[in-house]
Amino acid sequence: MKRALVPLAVLALLALAIAAPQYITVRYYVQLILLAMIWTIMAHGQNIIQGMTGYVSITQAGLMGVGAYASTLLSIRLGWPVWASMAIAPFITALFSVFVGYPSLRVKGHYFAIVTLAFNMVIFIVLMNFTSLTRGEAGIFNIQRPEPLFGLVDFDDRVAYYYLVLTVAVVMTALTWLLMRSSIGRTLRAIRQNENLASACGVAVWKYKLFAFVASAFYAGAAGALYAHYIGFINPETFGVAQSLDAILAVILGGTGTLFGPVLGAFAVVFLPEYLRIAESFRLIVYGLLLVVATILMPRGALPLLGRAWHAAARRLGFPK
Amino acid sequence: MVEVLQQILNGLTIGGVYVLIALGLTTVFGILGISHFAHGSISMFGGYVVFYLVTQQGMPLAFACLAAMGAGFVLGIAVERLAYRPVRDASPINAFIVALGLTMIAEGANLQLFGADQIVIPTNLQSVFRIGALTLTELRFYIILLTAGLILAMTLYIQRSKTGYAIRALAQNRNAAILMGVNVSRITMLVFAMSSMLGVAAAVMIGALFAIAPGVGEGLAIKGFSVLILGGLGSIPGAIVGGLILGVTEALAAGFLSSAYKDVIAFLVMIIVLLVRPQGLLGKHS
Repeated sequence: MKRALVPLAVLALLALAIAAPQYITVRYYVQLILLAMIWTIMAHGQNIIQGMTGYVSITQAGLMGVGAYASTLLSIRLGWPVWASMAIAPFITALFSVFVGYPSLRVKGHYFAIVTLAFNMVIFIVLMNFTSLTRGEAGIFNIQRPEPLFGLVDFDDRVAYYYLVLTVAVVMTALTWLLMRSSIGRTLRAIRQNENLASACGVAVWKYKLFAFVASAFYAGAAGALYAHYIGFINPETFGVAQSLDAILAVILGGTGTLFGPVLGAFAVVFLPEYLRIAESFRLIVYGLLLVVATILMPRGALPLLGRAWHAAARRLGFPK
Repeated sequence: MVEVLQQILNGLTIGGVYVLIALGLTTVFGILGISHFAHGSISMFGGYVVFYLVTQQGMPLAFACLAAMGAGFVLGIAVERLAYRPVRDASPINAFIVALGLTMIAEGANLQLFGADQIVIPTNLQSVFRIGALTLTELRFYIILLTAGLILAMTLYIQRSKTGYAIRALAQNRNAAILMGVNVSRITMLVFAMSSMLGVAAAVMIGALFAIAPGVGEGLAIKGFSVLILGGLGSIPGAIVGGLILGVTEALAAGFLSSAYKDVIAFLVMIIVLLVRPQGLLGKHS
């Protein structure tokens, strides 16, 4: 019965996401949902390397920055059509990540986490100081939205852009689902559970790990391009280590290695800080406390917890298993 | 040539401070296998306390340092008890997330209590020593002396004392150490307390040499971990060698290449070392 309900729940959520901008009149909330969907793409990417493969990378926001700057510079400096630069940006990010991933993946566990973190700092410092290209801390203004589609859909309209982001988020979620079910996904999980055994069974482990890292970068690049052309302004502050930690949090809070956990987590990391704005100066403290308490109380994330609660409720109500 | 020696001297000063941070991180890692990322921000709290005691209460610097190190001792114990112990048996990534949460709490508390302005801990060490063509400020001289003393004391404590013996035994083989009657809870608390004390000392030096500001603590933690990677996780000689190498590399990079990219160059050195020796310079094969 649970299996039959999952697609239904997904369809219901999708319908809700499609209907949301028509019913929500406060533009601020539409913006938050839009950002949460961009972060859903980020979190899916993070989940591939962190949740499926078991390698905690702390550079997702840096890679998002690569995608954002690549798309922005292609469209502004080289005068490419926005569509083309947004489509190419994830591939540039993926290519870049090969050079980050190859040395980082030579080490494991904590070492890997810290090396990727150093890479995020390198990206940040270069974005800050390579001012002739990136304009440094001042950032780049007036980034265009994509050109109208067939002269019909005008993306300067927030709601139209909302549907663009929704489409990409759904496609990326579907891709993640396919990856999870594929033999590659199984191999990645095998690496997480016992890398030595997988390697002894003849799996070229390093290829799969590099694939996972590059795939996660592809997602980050797509999210970065969507972000840059939505906000219209980018500067390095958005792509620092703190935001990479948000991507990790999204995966952990939602449910590591699950398909919809990162979606839940992405909404949490976008909405929670907004709601904690009531006490601006206490925000960091409260956010940190929440994090510590959540990790202690639900070490496997919110989604498995929800699943258990659902089962308990179903049993109470007398549904058959 | 003189310029090179001068930069190396500057690098050794800051490298010593990195060693103090890294020693705390490496002992915690050796015993618990966790990356105590909040170490830098918690240490900075101590730096702020010293600033407050010296400028607002007019306390002499030495007493203020002792008081802040005492506060660090207590804070270290509290952090271990309240935050890390509950996730001790969960997967290591959970401890890392707890560490991130703690970092946010510590940064937020520093911001709340001491404001967002950058502060410099005032010292009246103004004179400058000249050794041949090299110059060394009195402040840097005392910092080198003090870091050397603290590093020596910590090393001796871990290598010679009975508690140090227990710490090393736990790091080497946890189960065997427990079977031999090592009190894990007590040792863990003690390690956190000592690490935080050393961290506070490092933060005070940073505050006197440069400045303390929001975000400096996180930067310091990242530097500390870079040192660990350079030297080998869990290795005490590795932390000392790695810290000095990182400090000197940074100073040379800032002096001769580019001060904006000095961190990039330091990280690149770390990554090159990893490519050649993935276990770090003095680390053992895992």
